Amino acid sequence: MKTLTFLIIVIVSGFLAGLVHSFLNIALVEPYLDNAIGIENQRLFAQGQAQDNSQFWKQFSDYRIWQKQGSIVAGAILGTATGALFGLVFAYSRNALPGQNDVQKALVLAGIMWAVLYFIPFLKYPANPPTVGEPDTVTFRALTYVAFVALSSLGALGFSRIYKKLENKKFLAFLGYAVFMSIVFFVMPQNPDPIKVPSELINGFRTISAVTVTISWLTNAIILGWLWKKFQPDSVTTRT
Amino acid sequence: MVQTSQITKTHAVPIIAVVALLALFGMGYFMVGFDQGQLFSIVQGHAAYTQMNGVGYLHEMTHDMRHASGFPCH
Ligand SMILES: [Zn+2]
Repeated sequence: MKTLTFLIIVIVSGFLAGLVHSFLNIALVEPYLDNAIGIENQRLFAQGQAQDNSQFWKQFSDYRIWQKQGSIVAGAILGTATGALFGLVFAYSRNALPGQNDVQKALVLAGIMWAVLYFIPFLKYPANPPTVGEPDTVTFRALTYVAFVALSSLGALGFSRIYKKLENKKFLAFLGYAVFMSIVFFVMPQNPDPIKVPSELINGFRTISAVTVTISWLTNAIILGWLWKKFQPDSVTTRT
Repeated sequence: MVQTSQITKTHAVPIIAVVALLALFGMGYFMVGFDQGQLFSIVQGHAAYTQMNGVGYLHEMTHDMRHASGFPCH
């Protein structure tokens, strides 16, 4: 294995996918976030915690510009992070993955990891726009979310070993994971927070946020698969 | 003298690369998904939890992406 080449293509593909996510987020998701934060501001005014005046709005708009710039950096960081795990798992699983070439193999793995790390947890704990979450429950919600993602990941890892061992009836591994996750799904506690914003806002936000996360996984897979094919970090030329 | 070259495929990932990528994942996932000041508190102490409008700096900076990526927030 050409270690440096491997690390560079993994990090570059994750970083670029993260940037794609960042810009899609600015264009598509931010309007929903602004909408939700607008509701939050109205509540602050109604409760007397802030004054509806030009000074407030000036500060607020500067702060939101800073946060949106921050979200671009955050997208790049998150993309690099998930891309690192994706590249590592790809290196280990490439030979076992179905597909004619590295791009197809990477897309198959991205589909699995997207479901395991993101979408199945999303079905249990769907994303919410600002103002829905109670500050008092944030630690509880973070712990349950991490626990759910960890159980989903460990389950996938365990059943992928069974998948490799099964000579035929390989679908049993998928079935096993599905049964395991159904149990986890029903055993894990619900998100305790009541939803107090319009359902169009919630549903629109959830849909578009899931679309952008999904596109970023696809982007990561296509770039990594393409770079892998081009640079072949796992092949070593030895002269004899 | 005849030279031949042989291409062999190795999928053994060096341990250093495994450690580096897992660390990168853990760090970035935590920063964007969950940090409330923990990371900066290593240097800044308790102030890191409230330095930005009463909450952690990284929480505020990554805030929009945290919501948009499905992590729990406010
Ligand atoms: Zn929030």
